[in-house]
Amino acid sequence: MQSNKIRILVASLALSCAHIALAADPPAEGRDRTYAKVCSFCHDKGVGPAILGRALPAAYIENVVRHGFRAMPSFRSSEIDNTALASVARWVSQSPASKASTASPASPAPSAAPATKAQ
Amino acid sequence: MTTTPRNVLPKGVSANDFEQALAQIRAIVGAEYVVAEDTALAPYNKIMMAVPDEQHAPSAAVMPDSVEQIQAIMKVLNQHRIPVYPISTGKNLGYGSAAPVERGQLVMDLRRMNRILDVDAELCTALVEPGVTYQQLYDYLQEKKLPLWFSCPAPSVIAGPLGNMVDRGVGYTPYGEHFLFSSGMEVVLADGEVLRTGMGSMPGSNTWQVFKWGYGPTLDGIFTQSNYGIVTKMGMWLMPAPPDYRPFLIQYPEDTDITKIVDALRPLRIAMVIPNAVVIAHTLWEAPCTKVNRADYHPGPGAISDEAVQKIRKDHNLGAWNVYAALYGTPETNAANWKIIEQVAAATGGTLITDSTEQGGRATQYRFDLMKGKPNLGEFDLYNWRGGGGSMWFAPVSQAKGSETLKQMQLAKGILAKYGFDYVGEFIVGWRDMHHVIDLLYDRSDAEQMKKAHACFDELLQAFAREGYGVYRANTAFAEKVAATYGPVKRDVERRLKRALDPNNIIAPGRCGISI
Ligand SMILES: Cc1cc2nc3c(=O)[nH]c(=O)nc-3n(C[C@H](O)[C@H](O)[C@H](O)COP(=O)(O)OP(=O)(O)OC[C@H]3O[C@@H](n4cnc5c(N)ncnc54)[C@H](O)[C@@H]3O)c2cc1C
Repeated sequence: MQSNKIRILVASLALSCAHIALAADPPAEGRDRTYAKVCSFCHDKGVGPAILGRALPAAYIENVVRHGFRAMPSFRSSEIDNTALASVARWVSQSPASKASTASPASPAPSAAPATKAQ
Repeated sequence: MTTTPRNVLPKGVSANDFEQALAQIRAIVGAEYVVAEDTALAPYNKIMMAVPDEQHAPSAAVMPDSVEQIQAIMKVLNQHRIPVYPISTGKNLGYGSAAPVERGQLVMDLRRMNRILDVDAELCTALVEPGVTYQQLYDYLQEKKLPLWFSCPAPSVIAGPLGNMVDRGVGYTPYGEHFLFSSGMEVVLADGEVLRTGMGSMPGSNTWQVFKWGYGPTLDGIFTQSNYGIVTKMGMWLMPAPPDYRPFLIQYPEDTDITKIVDALRPLRIAMVIPNAVVIAHTLWEAPCTKVNRADYHPGPGAISDEAVQKIRKDHNLGAWNVYAALYGTPETNAANWKIIEQVAAATGGTLITDSTEQGGRATQYRFDLMKGKPNLGEFDLYNWRGGGGSMWFAPVSQAKGSETLKQMQLAKGILAKYGFDYVGEFIVGWRDMHHVIDLLYDRSDAEQMKKAHACFDELLQAFAREGYGVYRANTAFAEKVAATYGPVKRDVERRLKRALDPNNIIAPGRCGISI
């Protein structure tokens, strides 16, 4: 490394997988990190339906995350690992409705849980 | 070894052989990073294209964490002749998502390789691995307080620079043509050899990320929209954050205004007065992103009427065309160029909007963010238009000439309407070209609409090809048909390259129509 350079080499402290990368993110103000870094961009902004404050079952949430649902993309374990998934599902399930949310309280209701081959 | 019989196998590979290969691959990466059960593979089979999921079902997925692991895996795949489909962040939504181009291919998911290897704040360059997302890079630059911007596509929170660049995607800052602003790749070839392109080939070189061309043929291009290697690192240029950023929107009332818009903007774009990839979005792209509900204007079946579109414009203050661009410079240079923008808007009858919160709507906000490379997912609102999660991008290239744009728009709109679909389109202005991006939105849970969407895409492709218009990129279900529109000689050369670089045809055969 040349000393006259503002050079940031991070290879040595490399973050080796997705959930660790999430863990290294700045604090998310009491929110689950995966929620803050992924879900909230749609579900707090009225792009996708609001999911907080609806006591959606954690298992339902996990299923939707892995399978996707209608236009919602699926997320792989390489992106959100099983531990992070369990944690975000629990957190979403138990959280009260978000104040900051501009989301609409539209469906899907849990009864619309996708089958394994959901489209 | 699993005891349940496998539903999906790679073409021409026996179940026994496949199990053996999987065992070898597990030994390389660890059992938890190999997925081969149907349910666990679901995230790799969620597609938006108008073909059955089964057509793009993977046989398994492997998640290596290093170049050495990839090299070892390639040996196993060659030994068993197993085709592999590499993905990086795997969010090629509307182009094939994370699913393989052909049923049975094994997905190589590089998302775990997510190291930001180098950021040079003086030279404004970065070197990243395939699994890095734009959001991760954004957070990194923020955290280190580095005044550097990148260009990103609309799904930037969850997509990444390497995957986007190898499919030759586009963004909205002055660095919007992503392949152009990449510098240097590392590629694992089919035989496991590791190539660094450009200056990266030279031992001890420190110019890999600053000089793309190297000596002799510049090879980078053959690793984009192709299947000649697995890209494991990519250099990219970052833009110094400008002291002054002035995003704006100009709205135009009539469909036919597109001719004068393009003819007025082209000189500014070519001369780089407007340095970024200008977007000219049609009403029906803005409407969903402004929360207009389609059913309020068109409750029945079929394409929405022109009258309904007019009414949407009036009710929601949307233009027929909505031009998004920005000035990037110092307050002084921007003030000087701003006068030109005001003059052009006035002379062409456009309404200039600069404040995204007051005058513009939701759509304006996410656009203004995208033009400075701030990740968001605002554009996913498009999918609330028809519902049902069906989407295929039809994206022909156009000259940046007014007459061409109107011709393309009318051609597309007519064909879409024939099948009951709306014209949801935008033009992304390069320097002299435009990517005419149309989102063929349909309800994927409706079998009838799915059939129509497939036929519609086919007709769009053929009708445009007859006029000499080719697409810049295409979904995996139509790869073969799209490749055919470009003629036989190019395909023959591609096949010869494939034979030379990947004689066992194991890397993504069929991608962009390339196979042995
Ligand atoms: C609402 C919406 C808006 C969109 N807007 C844009 C936009 O503005 N601009 C744009 O460009 N796209 C856009 N897209 C399309 C797409 O989502 C993005 O281009 C996205 O960046 C691609 O996914 P990715 O980055 O995860 O790449 P990946 O899915 O990882 O890669 C794309 C393809 O490249 C190949 N590939 C990936 N990695 C490798 C590798 N390491 N080696 C060899 N081959 C590889 C594979 O064939 C793969 O399928 C949009 C999609 C949606 C849904």
